[in-house]
Amino acid sequence: MDRQIRPIYEALDTNSNKSAILACNKVLKKHPNNLLVKALKALALVRSQKVEEALILCDEVLASKPADEATLAAMMHVLRGLGRHMDMVTMYDDAYKQQPANEELGTQTFFANARIGNWKAAQQIATKMHKQFQDEHYLYWNIMSALLQAKDPNTPEALRTVLLKLAQRLISQSPTPSYYSADRFHLHVTVLKELGMYDEAYELIEGEAGQIICSQFLMCEELRREIWKLKGLTKEAGERAEQRILEAKDRNWLEFLAVLDATFVDLTVDGADVEAAKNTCAERITRTREFFGKVVEQDGVRDRSGHLALLELEKRSRQHGLATDSSALTSLLESYFQHFGGKACCFEDLKPYIELEGDDLATWTSVLEKQTAQVTSVPDLWRFINAQKLLRYNLTDSQLTPEAETQRAVRCLDAYLEGLQLGKDLPSYELQPADDLAILAAQTFVNIWKRTGDQAPLYNAAALLEYAITKSKMSYQIRLHLIRIYRLLGAPSLALEHYRGINVKQVQNDTLSHFLLSRASTFSLAATGDITYTSECMEASRIYVSNSEETSEFIVRAFGGEKYSQIPDFILFEECLDNSLQRDLIKMEHVRMRIAHEAINSELVDMELIELKFIFDRLHHDNRDFSILANYQPRSEASFNEQTESLEKTPGFGWLWVFLKIYIKAFQLASDLDDTVEDKLLIGDRPKPSNDPETKLPLKERLAMRKQEEINELSSDEAAYYDYASALSEWLTPYHDYARPPPSVVLAEAAKLTEQKTGHTLKGLEFLPDAATNGNGKKDEEPPAVVEPPASISKHFDDVLQRFKEVLEGNVLPFELLHVVTLAQEAFLLFAIETTRFKTASVLKQNKFGGLSQHIKDIRTKSTTVVNEISSALLSRAESEATQESRRAVVEACKPIVHESGLDHDFVLNVAKKITDARKQVYDGIGKGMAKLAKTHA
Amino acid sequence: MSVTRSFKATDLFKFNHINLDLWTETYAISFYLSYLSRWPDMCAIQETPQGRMMGYVIGKAEGAGPERHGHVTALSVAPEYRRLGVSRKFMAWLEKVSDENYRGSFVDLYVRCVNFAAITMYEGLGYSVYRRVREYYSNLGLGHSVRDEEDGFDMRKPLPRDPMRRSVRSNGRDIVVSANEVP
Repeated sequence: MDRQIRPIYEALDTNSNKSAILACNKVLKKHPNNLLVKALKALALVRSQKVEEALILCDEVLASKPADEATLAAMMHVLRGLGRHMDMVTMYDDAYKQQPANEELGTQTFFANARIGNWKAAQQIATKMHKQFQDEHYLYWNIMSALLQAKDPNTPEALRTVLLKLAQRLISQSPTPSYYSADRFHLHVTVLKELGMYDEAYELIEGEAGQIICSQFLMCEELRREIWKLKGLTKEAGERAEQRILEAKDRNWLEFLAVLDATFVDLTVDGADVEAAKNTCAERITRTREFFGKVVEQDGVRDRSGHLALLELEKRSRQHGLATDSSALTSLLESYFQHFGGKACCFEDLKPYIELEGDDLATWTSVLEKQTAQVTSVPDLWRFINAQKLLRYNLTDSQLTPEAETQRAVRCLDAYLEGLQLGKDLPSYELQPADDLAILAAQTFVNIWKRTGDQAPLYNAAALLEYAITKSKMSYQIRLHLIRIYRLLGAPSLALEHYRGINVKQVQNDTLSHFLLSRASTFSLAATGDITYTSECMEASRIYVSNSEETSEFIVRAFGGEKYSQIPDFILFEECLDNSLQRDLIKMEHVRMRIAHEAINSELVDMELIELKFIFDRLHHDNRDFSILANYQPRSEASFNEQTESLEKTPGFGWLWVFLKIYIKAFQLASDLDDTVEDKLLIGDRPKPSNDPETKLPLKERLAMRKQEEINELSSDEAAYYDYASALSEWLTPYHDYARPPPSVVLAEAAKLTEQKTGHTLKGLEFLPDAATNGNGKKDEEPPAVVEPPASISKHFDDVLQRFKEVLEGNVLPFELLHVVTLAQEAFLLFAIETTRFKTASVLKQNKFGGLSQHIKDIRTKSTTVVNEISSALLSRAESEATQESRRAVVEACKPIVHESGLDHDFVLNVAKKITDARKQVYDGIGKGMAKLAKTHA
Repeated sequence: MSVTRSFKATDLFKFNHINLDLWTETYAISFYLSYLSRWPDMCAIQETPQGRMMGYVIGKAEGAGPERHGHVTALSVAPEYRRLGVSRKFMAWLEKVSDENYRGSFVDLYVRCVNFAAITMYEGLGYSVYRRVREYYSNLGLGHSVRDEEDGFDMRKPLPRDPMRRSVRSNGRDIVVSANEVP
């Protein structure tokens, strides 16, 4: 038999699924009941996306309760591929019950539960295994599972303490002390911490073994700090820190913070004599100042800790009204700037300390203004850059006139061009030390646009950054700036080019794809068949699949290797990625693009309906990285990120919720699936709904909820679209509900399709009592009377046209124009989705919906006219885009930055050409796409 | 000056400004998790007082007997935090862990032969080239000779357990091995 099976494994190993299936069939001919071969065939089928056939085999194997390891291992892969983790648990459970002496089966059963976070069952298995096999690490699996169950939000409050106490009792049963391994020790202290047993935890970490472990393992050292804090040992921590700083020369910032906290500790004690406390504290401040002074003396420019600690001390003294010398802060700032102004991090270091007013600000400003742009070394250059950033931070409204800002921008740009000299010999792949000056100049231009609405400064910013990227090819920062500006200027193809230039990979897709894909349907040319943005959505989403396939494996591995300290973080990581807000924002954009690209049929509608409903049960995590975008705007202004976010409204939880409601409702209407049908057709596990109490409410109620905080995240055009969508679905719901075929008919149809495809009947659908009625069954109720549609539906299209004319004439950003246009298209498509059912003559006739048909026709005619009108206006705008005049206008706008050579007229002209061409392309594509859709759905 | 703390899985959401760098690779999630699930004590980050990641190091312990050693798999510092001693602190820390937790005789690392800045830095920290490994890396297309761009140096520094400096040699740059001869 082995000889026959080997080729199957070989084929699977090399991903030759076709030959694996053939090899399986050969063996199955002779041995039709061989479970292993069936399981392997199922695996090959899953891998070749033949899900229906795989399911049949999979169910057969499961029904015969396999118990040999080879079959179980194959089935594990099959079930994982199908997303059926619950079945995996059952399968191993059954196998382990059959062979309770099999340690490997026990382990696999434990792992199967761990993968899906089933800690209660995992704990029971670990208990059993520890009893039977007596190995200590099962005891710790038990403890860890109890801790995780206690921390699970689904666990009732009362049970938590019971579980933690159980964990503590189990640890005390361990024959070897926990400090034999750092991770067991970590787990032990964590359990005590969770129980609030800080004294016991303290004893453990300050014991001889504990101290060694904490000095060798960072994660234990972190726990030690936490326990000290929880025990209120601020003063002692301060003393210990002083020693560390002095004797071990430790320059960990946490030690300096500990000294600072200890200095002010008396002020934080409730009910103490305030005056007395202030006096002691004042004395302490003096002492601490001396202490940090000594550190500064010792370290000089070698380390920033002491210098920064003095600033922090002064800041806190001021906060408590205990500062004695009013000039101390500014002289510390000046000293810090002198010491570390030549380092790139100086601005970030000082930012928390420079929110100054009045005389302080004047003194500080004069210090910074002394820095000249004449530089001969890189540190000199950094001193100038830092001075500009620090000065800019404190600029007030009256200093931000367009003239003053233009002057600043030009000065930074000149200094940048000068500064390029310092890096002229660097290899092309190195960053230019002067880069930040170009970024400062660009941000200043953006600020002028923001304050005046004039788009000319945006072109300046784009052109100078394009120049900077030729000098510093690897600068992601310059590219991110360009992406934001090009999106505003309606040049998505250029934004995409720079996004690709950053080379975003793996998990970065989750944190960074928002730069490209936020409201990406605004730029999608899917209607014309160009699926560039659709594919970018797919590409960026791949990371979520590998997360759900791989991450839980490492939770299991951490158990195997007893690295308990990592498990909670692995779980959190998996969850953050699985329930990532960005994941579902991308999904939403993808749906919005898809409906413009594909035929709106039951395949699309049903699949998206199921997926969106799953998403609607999630509690999302926002992992998007916005902090990566540098911000050098004055503190009185919005950040660069906020300024350049499309329409100043970053889609977030509320935005997603609104669009989910819109599309779930629309797809529900269009679909024949109801919940019973959906359950039968579902393949993988249904994801666990989040703990949000709202998920317990009926879906219908949740879909109808309108929340102001969600609407606040919408642009005004999106809000109008939401109103329209709500009115539309409300009007059409009764007719859909009446006309939708009964579940039995839908299931019979699905069964028929499956049988055609696979030759087998669909599981659980063999006996359908009333399938024979074929959907013509008499309905008990009378059809709902057809009523007039609310006027707001038709009016929405009038409003949209009006709004379009305004933005077309007005001085708005190309992004806003495209936003209005694509939302108009979306409203038209939503109407198509919700009225397709009533296009069929027999549906209208059977349900006596003749009147409805006329209403629908009226709105369709109106909306088609509007869409066509917008389309042709946009097409003629596209024509006027890429002309000599339009390019000249851009070049003209860039006058402030054009130089004799390098960043010269020709360079700017070239940028102008790229921008206008890109814009023409998107206007043209969207215009044509709309015309096409108007025809398709007429 | 920085806060040194252990590398956590969720730090993968926060390392973009470090990884968007020519010399730094962003690997699959499984790469980071496999290190964290085996050598969590050899992975650390440093962050600013404001909580921004400055850099990270990922290492492992391998080999047996006199070959027992710590290995630096990845070390990267964001451009804005360079020249502040961040790497020096990471390396000193990793050497300590390799010595105390794993009883290693030396620490080693691989670096592209054209990453001159890094090589100079490691030499300054007491590392020397042990051998040159052919075609250890993929080509970056930087315009150096293909050989220099794809080859890597295996650099080593002896720990207190190797007082006779048996784990290093002076002519390492001349010793060339192919990529499949190294672990």
